[in-house]
Amino acid sequence: MKPLNLIALLLFLGGAVWAFTQSERGVREMQGLYYSAMGPFLKSGSKMETEARAFLTETRHSKELEVELSAVQGELGRLRIIGSRVRDLENENDRLRHALDYKKATHFDVVPAQVIRRQPTTWWQTVDIDAGEERGIGTQLAVLSSDGLVGKIDRIYKDQNRSSVLLLTDEKCQVSARVEGSPEVGILSGQRGRFDGNPLLRLRFLSTEATLRPGLRVFTTGRGGIFQANILLGEIVSVEKGALDSEALVKPSVNFADLGTVFVVLSADP
Amino acid sequence: MIRYSFITILLLLASFVIQQFLPAFTGMHQSRILLVQLVFLCSAVTVEQPTMLLLAFVGGFFWDAHCALGPHGGDPEVYSQQVESLRFGYSIFLFAAMGFLMQGIQPLFKQGKWHFSALLSGISIFLYLAAEYAIINFVRGDFVFSKATFMQMVFTSFLTMLFSPLVFWLLFRLASACDHSIYPEAGRKRQRAF
Repeated sequence: MKPLNLIALLLFLGGAVWAFTQSERGVREMQGLYYSAMGPFLKSGSKMETEARAFLTETRHSKELEVELSAVQGELGRLRIIGSRVRDLENENDRLRHALDYKKATHFDVVPAQVIRRQPTTWWQTVDIDAGEERGIGTQLAVLSSDGLVGKIDRIYKDQNRSSVLLLTDEKCQVSARVEGSPEVGILSGQRGRFDGNPLLRLRFLSTEATLRPGLRVFTTGRGGIFQANILLGEIVSVEKGALDSEALVKPSVNFADLGTVFVVLSADP
Repeated sequence: MIRYSFITILLLLASFVIQQFLPAFTGMHQSRILLVQLVFLCSAVTVEQPTMLLLAFVGGFFWDAHCALGPHGGDPEVYSQQVESLRFGYSIFLFAAMGFLMQGIQPLFKQGKWHFSALLSGISIFLYLAAEYAIINFVRGDFVFSKATFMQMVFTSFLTMLFSPLVFWLLFRLASACDHSIYPEAGRKRQRAF
């Protein structure tokens, strides 16, 4: 081996070991610096992604409308297109009203936010939202939608008014959960390697005597210091009994493939 | 040579910026174009080992800064079996391993046969993802490997590989601009032919 190569290899190993032995705080600081430098590009990237998604949705709608147009032709077709547009607006209006009512009805002090970026990394189930520390958001805060728990804040992008949400479908997002109408409590989390659509969640550490049936709803217990109590998580799809404990598969109440408006819980009524 | 090495580092940093504009393809098993890894792999085959190691360090370091998740949080008594995260810095080693793999066919590349390197970049990306996923399984316990994960790896590798000719073309142009030849043997052969 050439001396220069050997020196380079030793320097590389030294640098890699230094990076490998960084403390959690050190890593967070370095990440902060990285995301500060990337801030403007992240913003443009998110904007482009949002616009591309809107364009694709619109394209899909246009294709549907084209089929209708060819079927009915002329004036009738034109009216149907208008009708379909009105229906879209009605649905959107209903959705927004629903979200607004939810904000009013909830016992939580929440901050509404929009999902602006999906799955920015290869393996982790995360989304970025357009609310950050400027609006009082910090890490480890629960994130909800009008249908139930979405996840928790994993990272704040400093001075960029955005944050990253670790979704409930990620294996690392663990939630202390209870099953309605039973004393059963367990830990709910996502499953590894399940990325498509709405993957099922795993509710583990249930007792072997658990008499659970599909359709029972699962809520947060409020234990563990992150998630407030009685937030809907999903409903049981199947139960598997093991030798030491039981496990249930849970269908999430939130449609993760279609996340739009979410709410970050700043504080909750006791 | 030094100028070219410096430019490859800048190109790698620029790829981090462009990566922010490349979303996951939800219709294709959440696959994506891993531009950072691709630029690293293509650059690795055109430079000497010390520069490759420097690129691996820079690439792996920033990639981990891009991807690392935060601590679990919560009451450890309730969440007694917390899911482990990958340690910051593991990508540096993975990048270096891929770089050495690419340098294995450097003699072919120097003869001007860049298409072998392009093909190997796809294979390297697949191996990189497989190794990363294997580490996740090792750290977190239980070996889980679904068809969706396999498809995600395949599509990601394939999509990324499709862009390798473009990156090689860019590297070739940059090398020309720096008066540096990344195909020295192919150049000599051409001169002999004349």
